[in-house]
Parts: sequence; structure tokens; C-alpha cells
Amino acid sequence: MQSVINSLRPLVLSGLLLALTPAAAPAKNVKPDPNGLPPQDVKDLHYGDVLFYFYQDDYFDSITRLLAARQLDRIPHTQGEAELLLGGLYLSLGEHVEAGRIFEELLNKNTSEAVRNKAWFYLGKVWYQRGYLEESERALRQVSDKIDPRISAERYMLLAQLMMRQERYDDAIAALSNWHGAPDWTAYAQFNLGVALVRKDRLADAIPYLDRVGRIETRSEELLSLKDKANLALGFALLQAHRAADARPILQRIRLEGPYSSKALLGVGWADVGVGEFKRALVPWLTLRKRNLLDSAVQESFLTVPYAYNQLSATGQAADFYNSAIESFDAELKRIDDSIEKIRTGNLLDRLLDDDKKDTLTWYWQLTTLPDAPESRYLYTLLASNEFQEGLKNYRELNYMSRNLDNWRGDVAAYDDMLDTRQEAYKRRVPKADAVMAATDLGGLTQKRVDFESRINEIEKSKDVAALGTPEERQMWIRLKRVEDYLVAHPDDPELAEMREKHRLMRGVMYWRLSASFKARLWNERRSVKELEAELKETQKRAVLVKQARAGMPTNTGAFAGRVAAVRARMDQLQQRLAGISAEQNRFLQALAIRELEGQKLRISTYQIQARYELAAIYDRATNDKPKAQQP
Amino acid sequence: MNPKFRVVSIMRGALLACAWAAGAALAAPSGPTATPDAVPAPGAPGAAAAPDDFKTLDQEVQGLKKDVIDLNKDLFVLEEELLFPANTQVALYVSMDVGSFFALDSVTVKIDNKEVKNYLYTAREADALLKGGVQQIYLGNLKVGKHELVAFFTGKGPVERNYKRGATITFDKGVGAKYLELKITDRLAKHQPEFTIKDWE
Repeated sequence: MQSVINSLRPLVLSGLLLALTPAAAPAKNVKPDPNGLPPQDVKDLHYGDVLFYFYQDDYFDSITRLLAARQLDRIPHTQGEAELLLGGLYLSLGEHVEAGRIFEELLNKNTSEAVRNKAWFYLGKVWYQRGYLEESERALRQVSDKIDPRISAERYMLLAQLMMRQERYDDAIAALSNWHGAPDWTAYAQFNLGVALVRKDRLADAIPYLDRVGRIETRSEELLSLKDKANLALGFALLQAHRAADARPILQRIRLEGPYSSKALLGVGWADVGVGEFKRALVPWLTLRKRNLLDSAVQESFLTVPYAYNQLSATGQAADFYNSAIESFDAELKRIDDSIEKIRTGNLLDRLLDDDKKDTLTWYWQLTTLPDAPESRYLYTLLASNEFQEGLKNYRELNYMSRNLDNWRGDVAAYDDMLDTRQEAYKRRVPKADAVMAATDLGGLTQKRVDFESRINEIEKSKDVAALGTPEERQMWIRLKRVEDYLVAHPDDPELAEMREKHRLMRGVMYWRLSASFKARLWNERRSVKELEAELKETQKRAVLVKQARAGMPTNTGAFAGRVAAVRARMDQLQQRLAGISAEQNRFLQALAIRELEGQKLRISTYQIQARYELAAIYDRATNDKPKAQQP
Repeated sequence: MNPKFRVVSIMRGALLACAWAAGAALAAPSGPTATPDAVPAPGAPGAAAAPDDFKTLDQEVQGLKKDVIDLNKDLFVLEEELLFPANTQVALYVSMDVGSFFALDSVTVKIDNKEVKNYLYTAREADALLKGGVQQIYLGNLKVGKHELVAFFTGKGPVERNYKRGATITFDKGVGAKYLELKITDRLAKHQPEFTIKDWE
């Protein structure tokens, strides 16, 4: 059953987290319907990056990236949902206090009721598991009834359970009496109601509820287990009320191979004893006695079997069984002592976590198997407790975080080297950069460009077509000008008439040629000016960057060096705290384990004293009976 | 008191405590929204926990974990600012929308004809992309100016056929960080995947 529980658990929080990512995780699926889904544009790349890790259940990387993106203002379009996701991620990492703070701030009327309900529900659940019962009740009461019926059912169940944990049985009875949950939860509600009624000494009222659960027709292993549990609870409640005859058939309903069969066998025996059937009681008790002594019911059978023989006046067999019980208890007590010693001196938690997959942190992590060690056999009860599991989870998370900081340590050392190298390179490059900057007259270049542009403007304005001609054309134009000047100087020379006509023709041809290409040439010149302008701007920009880099580099490097030193100091300090609190957590869980073993030891010791007492009583009676028998 | 009855009484008392510890604990189903709870009855062995001790320690752990998470974030930011300063930073992201016509296997990225990344996807990563995650496939440095990026996507196309397609973009790297998104989308009209590169200004 545990494996089923574990396989289902991841779904639980992902339910909340998916609810918290409504826009980023629109109803996408692997196989969409034939019409396809509408395309979804990514609103913030960095939020998508957070989700990429989140969807792989890598909550630690996800939260790191989310916090970084938030600090660097990289999620402007997804702030609201990112904040809710952050709360969910804190919760998934067991940071329920921080998650609670975020939810308190965010879950106001602007948040959709569905998201609000889920967030409060899961927060309440985590608080319940960690024993923060008042906080849990406050959170669970924030959940409205407009929620998935199954979650609603679990919410009411958690509320009833926490009332019972606080021994508020009347409140629990009131809550469970009005139960209107999903059908598969009804059996659990009835069982808990029966238990609450018994705890309030209202056996008569409890019987119908426990009896109904005890008669369920089902094939579900989980419900079969609950059915056994209900029959066991009712059977023992009846035994306690001295109604042995009524208890027997109830206890006989329990499966012989189920988790409650040992206690059922013990109870059936007591029910037989209750109606004076000692011989019949031996049948279940002798069966039980062959089972593993770790089970408290089996331990008790080591006493009940000789007790029944004694009642049947088979004192010899009774004495043998008491002797055997004393020997078995002795051996068991020694094993427990050895285990306690081993737990005290060893590293129990590290051995427990030895086979653990270490690369992820998830809230639903649970230890399900114990290492193959002598002390493990006593610790299975402990594994079922929230306190131990949550404490172990804390210990595991602290170890993970310590390893995470260790991984950073190497990187941070490399940053120092890198900054030193940068500083060296800076020192080498500065003289070269200074020389280049000194040789570059950016002001002069800018002035030349301005002059050039003015000249182009003048050419355009004066339509000086020759100014944009090729060197040959300009040469030709100058020669024609010279000829023209000569002709102007000799206006009345008849011998120049032919030359004058030739000049007019050649000048016309030349002008036409220059004029025809003037526009294109002007456009080319203007483009050159623009290109020059762009290049000058780029050069100016680069010059500014060089100047900034030159001036900023020492400060920049210094600032980084300061930040590196600061994070290193924080790492050292946190590593110390991690080591301290890990050790404290280790001691706490070790104490829990030892207390569990001490409890078992105390119980066995009590049984052993009883066995010795009964054996002594048998010997006493035998001794007292002998002289009487020897009397004539 | 008759010793016989005294023993029976002691044993029954112990027995009932055990029975209630195991059998009469609160119950809740372990269905899809499970609370596999087992709250031991008062007085049962192992039940006398010290919730206050646990809470005190738990709160210390909470505070410490929060500080580690914050430091981790600061280290992450420091690393990026130190190794990939904004004036040279180029970050490439892969996103996948719907994905009914293409199952992604790998992406190869070349910048200025030099291969900078060849990434093979696990099923888990491809699934994360389908759900709406966006992967930062490459983070590097480039000089200010024009650059050419070519990305090749390989995987299974429609009808389970091997599929390899490319997309290219020429972009200007300015003084600020440059973000480019390699997008895989479904072109519904043609029942084909489409590969584009978006320049995030």
C-alpha cells in the first residue's frame, strides 16, 4: 500500500503547482486533439526557463532561477503567477513558513478561487504533517467548498483528524457526523467517527459506525486494511467493556494474513478467555507464538499461552512456556541494548540515507526501506510516524544543501583566479589602449566629415557638375576652361572662329556628360558621408566604451572581488550552521529512535517481570502442594 | 486482589494500548489525495513524541534553508554577471509549442559557423518543453556587431519519420544582453512542424 501512496504523492503537489502556473502551462498535452491547440507565445523567456526545471521536478534549480530572474527584473509579464509559483516551490522544498507568508500576501480577492483554495489546502496539509495544528486549521478553514470533491473530502478529514490529535473529540464528532464527502472517503469518516466516539466513552454510539466499516464488501487492499482496522478497534473496545462474547465474531472477521492479524489472534484468544474458554484460547495464541517476536502481540502471546495452560491446571507446560518466554525476552532485550548502543555510537541517519537518490529535493520524498542492519528491525514503527519522516526529510535536505554549497566552493575559488587574471590583463592592455587613444584625433575626424558634407552641399547648390567628375574629366574641364578664358580674351580674332566652334561643341559634350552623371555621383557622395558618419559614431561609441572600461575595470573587478569575498564568508557561515543543525537534527532523530527502542525494551521488561512472577508463583504452589501430597 | 486477575488486568491494559495504537489510529485513505496518516493513540509506545522539540528544530531548519536558497540565488547571479556580462552576453532558448508533429531529439547550434552547442534531449526534458518550459540551451559571450546563428533540429517528424531541419538568423549584438528563442511550433495547415528563431529585443 505504501508504494501506491508514494507513487500517487507526486501528483498531489504538482496539482497545486500546476494550478499556480495557469498561463505558463496552458492546457498543453503531448497528443493534442486533431484540431490542434492554439499557439502559445512565451511571455517571459526566463519564466519559461524556471518552468523547464519545475516540470522536471527539479524544484531547487527552479526556485534559484526564479529568485534570480525576479531580482534581475526579467519576468515583467508573469510577475503574479511567478509569485504564486514561488510560494508553491517554497512549499515543495518544505519551506512552509515562507510559503505561508507568500500565500498570505498573495491569496487575496484578486486570485482565482480555485488557485486560492488549492494553495491553502496544500499549505494546511503540509502544516498538519509537520504538527503545526493551529496553523493547519487556520489554512484549511480558508478553503471554500467550491473545490474538487476529493480535495474537499480530504480537507474535512484533515480538519477532523487535527481535532482528534488535539483531543477535541466533541468537535471531531460534530464535524464527522455531518460528513457529506465522496463515497470512498465515507468509510474513513465513519471509522474516525467511531474512534472519536469510543474515545469519549460512547461505545454504544460508536458500534454502528465501526461495524459498518467492518462489513464493507471490497477488493481494494486499502479498504480491506481499513476494514480490518475497524474490526480490531471495535473488537478491543468490546473486550474493554467486558463484552467478550460480542467481541469474538468481530475479531474473527479480520484477515489472517493482513497487517492486523497478530493483534486479531491475540484478541480472539482474550475473547475466549472472557467466556472461560481457556483451551480454545490456546489455538490462536499458539499460532501467534510462532510468529516474529518483534511484534508486540507476539510478545504478549509468550505470556498468554502459559497463562492459559496455568488456568487449565497444566502447570508443567505453563512453567516450560514461562521459562521459554524469559529466555526469549532476555535475548530480545540484549539485541535491543546492542541496537541502542549502535545507534548511539553510529551514524544511523547516514546509513538510512545511504541508498537514497541524492540529486533532487521533493516534498513527497519518504524513506520506505531500511538498511539491512540489526537495529532496522525495531525501527519500522518509527518509519510510519510523520515526526520521524519529516525530521529525516529535513536532515536529507540539509545534507543536499551542504553538498550544493560545496559544489559552489570550487567555482568561487575559480572566480578569484579569474579576477586576478583580468586584473593582470588590464595592466598589460592599458598602455596599448592609451597609445591608440592618444593617436586617434576623433575631434579632427569629426570636423573633416562636417567640412566634407558642407562641400557636397555647396556643389549641389551651385550645380558644380565638374566638381564630382573623375580626375580625367576634371582635367579636361580645366583645359576647356583655359581655352575658354583665351577665347574670351580674344573676342575679335577671326582666326579663332573655328576653334571657338570646336570649344563650344566640346564643352557642350563634356557638360552633358558631367551633368548626366551628376545626380548619381552626388548620391554616391552623400552615401559616403553617411557611411563615414556611421563609422565615426561607432568609433566614438567604442572610444567611450574603451574609456569606460579603462576607468571602470578596476572598480568593476574590485566590486566583483568584494562580492566574491562576501559570498565566500556567507558560505563559510552557512556551512557551519548547516553542520550544527544537521548534527542537532541527527541527535533529535537518534533520540526518537532510541526512545522507540526503549519503549519496546520497557514493554518486554514488563512482560519478563510478569513471566518471572508467574513462574515463581507456579513453583510456590508446587512447593506448597508437595508437603500436602506427602502427608498420609 | 487475586494475582491471576491482576496479571490478566495488566496484560489486557497493555494489550488494549497496543491495539489502539495500531488499530484505532485515525484513518484516511491513500487515494489520489492521500494522507497516509497513522496518529498513535495517547500513551502508546513511540507516541510520546516531543512536538515542541520538533517544531523548534524545524523552524531553525526552515530559516537555515531559506538562507541557503538565498545564497544560492546570489551565487547564481554573481556567476552570470561575472562570466557573461550584459555587454557581451548572448543567451539562446529553446521552446516548443504543442509538438504534435515533431518529437525533439537534439538541437545543434552554430554561431558564426562555429558549433557552440549540441544538445541531446532526455524524454523528461522534451516533456518539460511540451508542458511550457523553455530551455536555456546556451549562454555565452559575443562581441558587439553582426553575427549569424544557425540551428539544426533533429527528431521524429510526422508519421514517425526521421526529421532534420534548420533555421537561421543574422542578428545584431548591441551593448545589452541578447536573447534569441529557437521556436518549434506546429504549422497546422501543412501538418508540419515549423522552426523559427525569434530575436528578443
